[in-house]
Amino acid sequence: MSPFFVTVLWICLLGLILSGILCLYRMFIGPRAGDRAVAFDTLGTVFIAIICVLGIAWESVLYFDAVWILTILGFLGSASIARYLERGRIF
Amino acid sequence: MPSVLEILVASLLLTGTFLVAVAALGLIRMPDVFCRMHAAGKAGTLGVVTIILAAVVHFAGGEQDVTFRGLLAIFFQFLTSPAATHLLARAVYLCEYPLSERTQVNELKALLPSRPDEVFNRE
Repeated sequence: MSPFFVTVLWICLLGLILSGILCLYRMFIGPRAGDRAVAFDTLGTVFIAIICVLGIAWESVLYFDAVWILTILGFLGSASIARYLERGRIF
Repeated sequence: MPSVLEILVASLLLTGTFLVAVAALGLIRMPDVFCRMHAAGKAGTLGVVTIILAAVVHFAGGEQDVTFRGLLAIFFQFLTSPAATHLLARAVYLCEYPLSERTQVNELKALLPSRPDEVFNRE
């Protein structure tokens, strides 16, 4: 890998971690459950992106299955939270 | 000197990171929960899809080929992200979360019953 590419990977990693911290901040300040649910959804997105960047940096596809599994799990999480907010129960 | 493939992957990665960062920034800056959903749902999805595409291009043709899994992830992302955001927006609207003071038009107000209990007990 060229130094240019390594620099780009570091910039992306730092930017994504910063985005994750912003999501956590929104999760922390709320103000209500819906805002936290949206922040959780975005945090899952940021995690997927970080896994992809780390996979490229380590030249490994070991964790690549986690990408599409986390996509589905994020959807299930958001759908459950939405149902809970709407009806007061999940099932 | 970086190769053409590296420049392509790097530009995809930087674009994706920029979009995800915009989504996170919108999450902080936007005035109410629907605006935050708008920022996070669109920009975040496109950003993560761009980053997955960067990984697919990076590993394409090598020993570790992730083309199928990557395209599967992109497919699921485009399938599930709008649905999740829509479900959340519906739930949040029915719970009568406050709209921003600068909201001009609320077309749902005329369509939905005034008491959300009626919607709850519909089934």
